[in-house]
Amino acid sequence: MTDLDAQLRAAHDSGDAPALVALYKQAALATKTPDARGFYLTHAFIFALETGHPETAGLRAQLVAMGRELTVSHP
Amino acid sequence: MDKTDLSVVRRPIERANGLPNAHYINHAVFEEERAALLVKGWAGLAVAADVPEPGDALPVQFLGMPLLMVRDTSGTVRVFQNTCRHRGMILVDAPRNIEGAIRCPYHSWCYATDGRLVATPHVGGPGQNTADGIDRSLLGLVEVQSHIWMDVVWINISGDAPKFEIANAELLDRWAEFDKPLYHGGADSRFQLEVACNWKLAVENYCESYHLPWIHPGLNSYSRLEDHYHIEAPERFSGQGTWVYRQLKDEAGQRFPDFEGLSDKWDTAAEYISAYPNVLLGVHRDHTFAIILMPHGPGKTVENVHLYYAVPDTDPALRARNTEQWKDVFKEDIFVVEGMQRGRHSPMFDGGRFSPAMDGPTHLFHDWVASRLAQHRASASAAQ
Repeated sequence: MTDLDAQLRAAHDSGDAPALVALYKQAALATKTPDARGFYLTHAFIFALETGHPETAGLRAQLVAMGRELTVSHP
Repeated sequence: MDKTDLSVVRRPIERANGLPNAHYINHAVFEEERAALLVKGWAGLAVAADVPEPGDALPVQFLGMPLLMVRDTSGTVRVFQNTCRHRGMILVDAPRNIEGAIRCPYHSWCYATDGRLVATPHVGGPGQNTADGIDRSLLGLVEVQSHIWMDVVWINISGDAPKFEIANAELLDRWAEFDKPLYHGGADSRFQLEVACNWKLAVENYCESYHLPWIHPGLNSYSRLEDHYHIEAPERFSGQGTWVYRQLKDEAGQRFPDFEGLSDKWDTAAEYISAYPNVLLGVHRDHTFAIILMPHGPGKTVENVHLYYAVPDTDPALRARNTEQWKDVFKEDIFVVEGMQRGRHSPMFDGGRFSPAMDGPTHLFHDWVASRLAQHRASASAAQ
């Protein structure tokens, strides 16, 4: 298990949403394929959306630019 | 089972009997009444003060249905089915504040606090969050019609009742003077009573003043039976009023502030109304209360009690004393409603006879139950 995996596991276990957003963003940067990047960005986006994280709009914009998310407004 | 015969209930009070035993102890009749009395009209669910802040979410189990009451980010209180539109997962299982969106704990579909579906992660495959056939605009949370009055959140589950203001026009008009901001007293002004009785017995006991001198003898010193009057609105609501309401005051003579603009009647009057089906309300010059009856089966009811004041910052000690006073009164009623529940297991009990002079409000409730059930049965048989 990589250090990032361990940190993600710990963040999930503790329900640390800001950490999950940051770690999934980090995971997205570390991947090589668009699908994997979209996968991790989606996770970062969902935890940001759930918690009203300030990066929600930016994450959604990245997914929209990748053709992986709708452009409708979010809360 | 065969339908109960309610013709005798609908006779004039002098010749009427009360609802048959089955209406209190039989599961099939409970289900019939659930549909006819609680799902079709406007029933009380909770109070808006249960979700005071934007984003506050309260799951409520009502008649076996998982509901979710949310104050959305614009401040509007809404009631939804607490069920994800994807796999039917329960969305929120404990009261909490939704900071951003309601995320389903299963596959993380997300809903705005106003019910809109706003994210469907991986629905088109890993990292692809859209898919043909998944139209988010059609997959928002299923909202239950709701209306707030006297801070009570009333819901119409069937969705086809007349508007609340129309269905309850007479009651709204009667208490128009209290249609103003009501301030929940907070944690010390809410309590819950669990009673081993059918919910209707709580309504019936609340309707009438006949029992007061026997069950609440403390009232006799200043509020005698003859100081009370009936409130009777056939097919809508019933209750009782008193002409001699006496304000609570502490050793220093301090009282609660009055609601502004009340007419002279309320200097000494107070009224207690059963708003059919399941909300019991009381109004006084200086406070109101609401009791929401949560039916949990034929012989089990939870009473959620909330007290309100004319201003947001009342004296905590006086407030606590008022809560305690009402709790004592309502507790005095428990052995009665539970005793009537046990009495309804007597197979030869015929529903009982009413006092024509004293039981009018109770008979009106029985008549309303019988009337609604007759309508329900007629529409059910027409649909077959």
